Amino acid sequence: MTLALETRALTKRYGRRTALHGIDLAVESGTVFGVIGPNGAGKTTTMRLLLDIIRPTAGTARVLGEDPRSCGAALRRRIGFLPGELRLEGRVTGRALLTHYARISGPVAPGAIDRLAQRLDLDLSRQVRKLSKGNKQKLGIVQAFMHEPALLVLDEPTSGLDPLVQQEFLAMVREARDNGQTVFLSSHVLSEIQQAADTVAILRAGRIITVSDVAALRATALRRVAVTIADATASALRTALARDAHLAELTITEGAGGLSVHGTVEGDIDPFVKAIAGFRVTDLRVEEPDLEESVIGLYAREIGE
Amino acid sequence: MSTVLPLYRRALGDSWRSLIAWSLGVVAAIGLYVPLFPSIGGNPDVQALLETLPPELVNAIGYDSIGTGSGYVHSTFYGLIGFVLIVIAATSWSTTAIAGDEESGSLELTLAHGVTRTQVVLERTAAVLTRLLWLAVLSMLLVLAFNDSAGLEIEFGNLLAEAAAFLGLATLSASLGLAVGALTGRRAYATSAAAGIAVLGYALNAIANQSADLDWLHSWSPYGWAYAELPLQNGADWPGLALLYGASVALTAVATLALNRRDLSP
Repeated sequence: MTLALETRALTKRYGRRTALHGIDLAVESGTVFGVIGPNGAGKTTTMRLLLDIIRPTAGTARVLGEDPRSCGAALRRRIGFLPGELRLEGRVTGRALLTHYARISGPVAPGAIDRLAQRLDLDLSRQVRKLSKGNKQKLGIVQAFMHEPALLVLDEPTSGLDPLVQQEFLAMVREARDNGQTVFLSSHVLSEIQQAADTVAILRAGRIITVSDVAALRATALRRVAVTIADATASALRTALARDAHLAELTITEGAGGLSVHGTVEGDIDPFVKAIAGFRVTDLRVEEPDLEESVIGLYAREIGE
Repeated sequence: MSTVLPLYRRALGDSWRSLIAWSLGVVAAIGLYVPLFPSIGGNPDVQALLETLPPELVNAIGYDSIGTGSGYVHSTFYGLIGFVLIVIAATSWSTTAIAGDEESGSLELTLAHGVTRTQVVLERTAAVLTRLLWLAVLSMLLVLAFNDSAGLEIEFGNLLAEAAAFLGLATLSASLGLAVGALTGRRAYATSAAAGIAVLGYALNAIANQSADLDWLHSWSPYGWAYAELPLQNGADWPGLALLYGASVALTAVATLALNRRDLSP
């Protein structure tokens, strides 16, 4: 397996502040690699280093087998990049802007721009400065994908997109992978990474906390659950729920509509659903796995090992 | 789909509105002042009025020789209003080209494509200079158009020399704006530098005009390099032009090196 991307002890310091503490990454060709982490974790810094927009303080990066610094322009023609803070301005139309970027990137197949724009439901005839944030983001995505680059580097690609377009985008990522392209993307939404990525790295305060495959991460994901039960006593409920080993931080309070149950479920959700199935459930909420908690959970485990 | 000079073409394509606006400014300034030469510069009453003003003031604004067509066109346009116009245009264009683009975040996306930083600096510098060149050529065409009707009696070769000096001043401001933008990535610093060198040069020149003792100050002022030898009357001042354009070339080299060496600001 060849590596599309490899970093060794990649370090970036700004004065006394260290943005990246020597990270090691290896991304295999033809895979989708996700990076998650809170803001300021170093996701954007890593991507900008790969594109030679900034230079490392120490360590090395190889992108598609080349050094980003010395292979500069020729290498970047083979990369599609979507910056995290995409700010597009100007009185030109979306089409004119894309035509310009096509001139300075790899060859764009005829009709590729229109196909992508149609897929994302983007009107190319409007002036860029008049586009909404979501539509500017679509323009950025088209710009990154249009020359079918060997490597896609996408920083928070779904921010500002509505859910339907997000799904379309994730489909585009999967197709790119099936097409042999490598995708390196960041997000702070775990579910998004789960849907798109094969491998995920968790970055925190400039360090890689863990690299795991997505199935493993899902198994450790922490969900918050909140249930209202109309027809049970607290003790009966507690007994029923005690059988679920995945449930923690259980609190049961008496409320207007019955008993209000809160807790966290780590990993498999099925036993919890089975446990409450015998009661009359008047309300049920299962919240997105919280990234920060998952990260802390993983981090704690790594230290424990 | 790659074509020649994509960044140069885009920079020009993006700025045609502002180029038209500045062109109208030049047309208005020349169109309002130059046709009035017979009734102002050539008018004995105005000369008498100027003699009642403090000579320091007249020297400072360069109105000491408005009795001739060349002196008048220099004092009103090339030395004053035109100078202000083209320096503001040079400042605005040069500071947008790199620093402004970097602050807006679009330079990052451009540099993530298949272009080198040297290419970005050189093509964008060329685009700024092309626009400034157009303003200088336009000013020449307008002065030539009024030459006979306003009785200016300006020789073409001298007009060319004056326009070259005029363009040289603007080029110097623009190159400094680009260099400071490439060094710092901050539009405010680039603007201060580009406009600052023009203001400083003008001020030094105005002081140097005050007496023969201060004449040496002319050689420290870019404005003096351009105009101290009165090119519109006497023809090209080659050492002055060499200083203006030589410094601009050096500053462009600095801009190229600077942008190549540093991180783009976040």
